[in-house]
Amino acid sequence: MTPIPRRTTLQRTLSTTAIVRAIVALGLTLGGVGAMAAQSTGEAELARRLDALAAELAKVKAELAQLQQQRAVAPPPMPAIAESPSMNASGTALGPGLSAEPRTVLTSYGEINYSRPTRDAKNTVADVRRFVLGFQHRFDDKTKVVTELEVEHAVSSAGDKGEVEVEQAYLERQLTRQWAARAGLFLIPAGLLNENHEPTAYYGVERNFVETAIIPSTWREGGIQFVGSFDNGLTTQFGLSTGFDLTKWDATSTDGAESPLGAIHQELSLAKARDLSVFGAVNWRGVPGLLVGGSLFTGGATHGQAAASSRVTLWDLHARWTPGRWDLSGVYSRGAISNTAAFNTPLAGSTTLIPKSFDGWFAQAAYKLWSSGDYSLSPFARWEQFNTARSFADIGPGLTPIAGPTERVITVGANFSIGSGIVLKADLQRFRENRDRDRVDLGLGWSF
Amino acid sequence: MNSRLRRSTAVAGAFWLVALGACGGGGTADDSAAPTPSVVLSAEAALGEKIFADASLSASGRQSCASCHAPAFGHSPANSLAAQFGGADSTLQGLRKAPAIRYLAANKPFAIAADGTPTGGFFWDGRARTFAEQATEPFLNPFEMANASKAAVIAKLAAAPYAVEFRKVFGDKVFDDVDGAYLRLSLAVQQYEREDADFNAYSSRYDAFLRGRAALGEQELRGLALFNAPAKGNCAACHPSSRGADGSLPLFTDFSYDNLGVPRKAELERNADAAYFDLGLCQRSDLVARGDLCGAFKVPSLRNVALRQAFFHNGRFKTLKDALTFYVQRDTDPGKWYPTGAGGVVRKFDDLPAAYRSNVNTSEAPYNRRPGDAPALSDAEIDDVIAFLKTLNDGTTP
Repeated sequence: MTPIPRRTTLQRTLSTTAIVRAIVALGLTLGGVGAMAAQSTGEAELARRLDALAAELAKVKAELAQLQQQRAVAPPPMPAIAESPSMNASGTALGPGLSAEPRTVLTSYGEINYSRPTRDAKNTVADVRRFVLGFQHRFDDKTKVVTELEVEHAVSSAGDKGEVEVEQAYLERQLTRQWAARAGLFLIPAGLLNENHEPTAYYGVERNFVETAIIPSTWREGGIQFVGSFDNGLTTQFGLSTGFDLTKWDATSTDGAESPLGAIHQELSLAKARDLSVFGAVNWRGVPGLLVGGSLFTGGATHGQAAASSRVTLWDLHARWTPGRWDLSGVYSRGAISNTAAFNTPLAGSTTLIPKSFDGWFAQAAYKLWSSGDYSLSPFARWEQFNTARSFADIGPGLTPIAGPTERVITVGANFSIGSGIVLKADLQRFRENRDRDRVDLGLGWSF
Repeated sequence: MNSRLRRSTAVAGAFWLVALGACGGGGTADDSAAPTPSVVLSAEAALGEKIFADASLSASGRQSCASCHAPAFGHSPANSLAAQFGGADSTLQGLRKAPAIRYLAANKPFAIAADGTPTGGFFWDGRARTFAEQATEPFLNPFEMANASKAAVIAKLAAAPYAVEFRKVFGDKVFDDVDGAYLRLSLAVQQYEREDADFNAYSSRYDAFLRGRAALGEQELRGLALFNAPAKGNCAACHPSSRGADGSLPLFTDFSYDNLGVPRKAELERNADAAYFDLGLCQRSDLVARGDLCGAFKVPSLRNVALRQAFFHNGRFKTLKDALTFYVQRDTDPGKWYPTGAGGVVRKFDDLPAAYRSNVNTSEAPYNRRPGDAPALSDAEIDDVIAFLKTLNDGTTP
């Protein structure tokens, strides 16, 4: 689905308002017609039509009120829902002339973080974690281009650690009322966060570990994608894309231990593309406030450049429920890399061998404790555990690495939101396995 | 969307899916990134082959490139001398061990990074910045082929049996311009080393192993693991053993320089002068000011290392076993490798002036130990590593 969630709720509201206006106008028109018709067809027919219109108007008003209430209560927008600006709340396409946005829209998000390890204060860091500028341009009511350009760590030069990245650059065409097609560099639909990674869209200063160490957000690939949104609340996405590059695994580095797929993603930067991947995601939100979904990504990762071939597969199940002031969510994700014995044997003894499997899950609860005007405070707690080296393929006694430890992290903190576009964050993270990583985080984020 | 447009869009989408999906087939290209040596040498390379083996191009008439770089020994010396003898009458001992020169086509030019770290280059001190440059020096080096001048070399070349071919390839008047002819001589040698299959064989059993065509034995695999393990041999830190990100086969060197504090070698005649020290990189005229580089020498490729009969820049050790044992016991048992001075004090790093002994690498495994500690590798583990290193010999593909 279109990864522009920060605008979704507003768009839905605008879209619904437009629908109400249209229906009222239509009702008045039909009312006029009905008055004339009453002379020929009778008052009973006219009354029946007016009753029907009144009922429909009441229903739409109720939906509008519900959406406005949800917007006021739930701080972050619902992830992984039909975010396409051309979709209304039901995921249906708006007709020409009903779009409420200009043809070209500037977007941005950013986060500035402070992280202080409680047991290792000398490594305290303050950082412009990321600063993103993007634009969308709508060529017509059915066709648009979406881009995002990101700078990480403030400065990118030969002597600095920062990066400049094209995070998204794709074209989208609305094909039918339900289906849209995309082509270019887009975010892969996985988990709750990857497509909805703006700081206002998640709790905690840093993104959760499951969706960074296991799902390598912000994860994007180049390819084509089809997006279907249906009236029953079901959204489905599938496509064909570039994938990972296992041949660049660096066994002398610890990058692969921090995030196996983060170490071999390509980000469409001269990406090896002999082997392509397929992906799919299904999300259902047929009940207001509830999202249930899952995703699958699988594809070759050796591109004919290794003696053996290997496949990378990643899947997840996720859910989010926002009853009243509560915001409850959870994700489980598991990845697997095939044929790793053939790759690991020449790397035997090295620092980081390629895991056969890796996984993790988290459960999170947030509560909108206080709000006044456009201020709101939402404390939260998150428990997560993950293992970036759940298992290794056997390469012989004394050579096969032992499975990595499962890290368990509890995060407690709060998001203080100003409107829907600004958030101040604070949290405390405690690690069960590596206590040296315990830390206090402060963050500032925006998104529009 | 009208039905015609919908059909067009569907067809376009299906086309992309089918077209892209079709790209995923085919088998694996197991060595696509390995250079492919020429089966037939080019005219220039064929000339280079003759020059390489031509002893008449030396002052003594008895030394060619092949004299010190024997193909049967991985293009390293066929003997265990600490340095080869050359000069006008073949009695002058060289200053350093003649290096193995296989796989030089993959070597990198000499460069110093922004942080001052040197990499690449040719010879033990990287003084030849490029492949062609390294091919020119031995003809004029007084300790090697010892020609008095380029003109002397070209005069000998003009009298060689293959001079006609040289003219044919480079022009009838090629010998009229000494500098031009000398440049072409070096290019011919370079081209030979680029094209000849022996120089770029990638035909070791380990290459076959990486290609998935051969297995290593248990001891060899143990040795590989010890070679790679950062807390054990840590050899791969400077001699990478895995394929590159582009699929290229490993060269077993990262082209860096290191200061190992190799003990002084009395076999080198220059070392009879107690005041003489071979300072490696900082001995170069352009790096004299870089005292931090004194004692650093180039990290050599380990391909065919088991065919060599002398090791390190001064040929200090004659067997792989001794060389590896020195690596892991240099700091745990220094008295075994260095002389003991007055008062029974071991004169560690005795082949460096006192001012430069702090340059020696003592921070990385396996050097980061103290006297009395257990060595990073046991005797049996050293044997395992040697078993692995023997799989790097070219021509051993099953």
